[in-house]
Amino acid sequence: MKHKINFILNNEEITHEVAANRTLLDVIREDFDLTGAKEGCGAGECGACTILVDRKPINACLMLAVEADGKEILTIEGLSVNNKLDQIQQAFIDHAALQCGYCTPGMIMSGKALLMDNPSPTEEEVKEAISGNLCRCTGYKKIVEAIMEVADKTNSAR
Amino acid sequence: MKDFLYYKPKTIEEACEILTRYNGEASILNGGTDVIVRIHDGLNHPKALVDIKGISGLKTISFSKEDGLVLGACANMNAVINHKDILENYQIIAEAAHTVGSCQVRNRATIIGNITNASPLADTATPLLALDAVVEVFGVEGPREISINDFFVFVRRTSLKVGDVVTAVKVPYYKELKGSYQKHSRRDAVDLATVCASVLMVDGEIKIALGSVAPTPIRCRKAEDFLRGKKLTEELIKEATHRALEEVSPISDVRATKEYREEIARVLVSRGLRDLMG
Repeated sequence: MKHKINFILNNEEITHEVAANRTLLDVIREDFDLTGAKEGCGAGECGACTILVDRKPINACLMLAVEADGKEILTIEGLSVNNKLDQIQQAFIDHAALQCGYCTPGMIMSGKALLMDNPSPTEEEVKEAISGNLCRCTGYKKIVEAIMEVADKTNSAR
Repeated sequence: MKDFLYYKPKTIEEACEILTRYNGEASILNGGTDVIVRIHDGLNHPKALVDIKGISGLKTISFSKEDGLVLGACANMNAVINHKDILENYQIIAEAAHTVGSCQVRNRATIIGNITNASPLADTATPLLALDAVVEVFGVEGPREISINDFFVFVRRTSLKVGDVVTAVKVPYYKELKGSYQKHSRRDAVDLATVCASVLMVDGEIKIALGSVAPTPIRCRKAEDFLRGKKLTEELIKEATHRALEEVSPISDVRATKEYREEIARVLVSRGLRDLMG
């Protein structure tokens, strides 16, 4: 049985029909071609599928698409505006905070969620915010530095 | 994932009716961080999922000295961790909830889901046991209460019946609450407890609860009885720890051996008691 759901996906109002047994991750990737979020573990351990639902980071592999009804969803693809990258995306590039890139969309969304909630986090808070995101290539140093740079910029602009 | 039907009832009566109709073949969908993994991995095959997040009032967290803390079934872990009244009066519950999974998981997972899963290592189970929480249930015959001490029956089994929906967990107010949640795990983040413990001083009485050392989270009554009315000394701590250890029956699994768990349980209990001495 299909369910009709209404939600906001990257600032666009969407009406869509989904089967109950499809995850939100599956639907955003397969039906909307938003392939930034990825399935790593499928169990809420790696964070590669991290997206924001009502401004909070969640594992899209652990949420059914039908549960997205009435929600506001932001994926990595919704971060840039008019082809201009979000500060945090630019900071990841500037710091070379990625290698294979598989974890990057999830890392960025976790970092983004933290900064939306707390624009001037400590390094400890950054580490905690990304503790649900695994990177198996670069290590976390540059990732933390990239997120801290955005925090510092926000602070000095005040 | 295997197909299932999805229901999102607006009332608790309706949720209970659907669950009863499926006679054990429907599961409740709350935060989904466990049930979806189990369906995904083929461990559970429910014919239907009943999403209780559309029922009004279940997200509420309320506190008063008269009624204590009432944690609604759909309040997620991060809401608990950041709640002012919980931080002020029940810090141990916030501490335990904070160790569950990742930030992403805690934005969906709930304390009520954590306890109804009835994993022996459920992080939030030992504080609730030590604080004599009460589980509020709505079932076929209407609302009722189950003491948390009678709630856990076996690994992944509770005293809930078909059709039951846990609506909240209530924790009495205590004037004095000291002690902390201790979790021993392989990693600091996103890991399950190898052994966990809540060793508390609650209005002058010592309460000890342990996780991952028996088929359910347990209270160490013998050790508590032994310590009642006594002032803690090194000697008493040694004896109480010995008695607590008589109540555990851990197994060896992927995370640790039985012997290792016994040793860690010993360390956590004596450390917890020593922290209460000062």
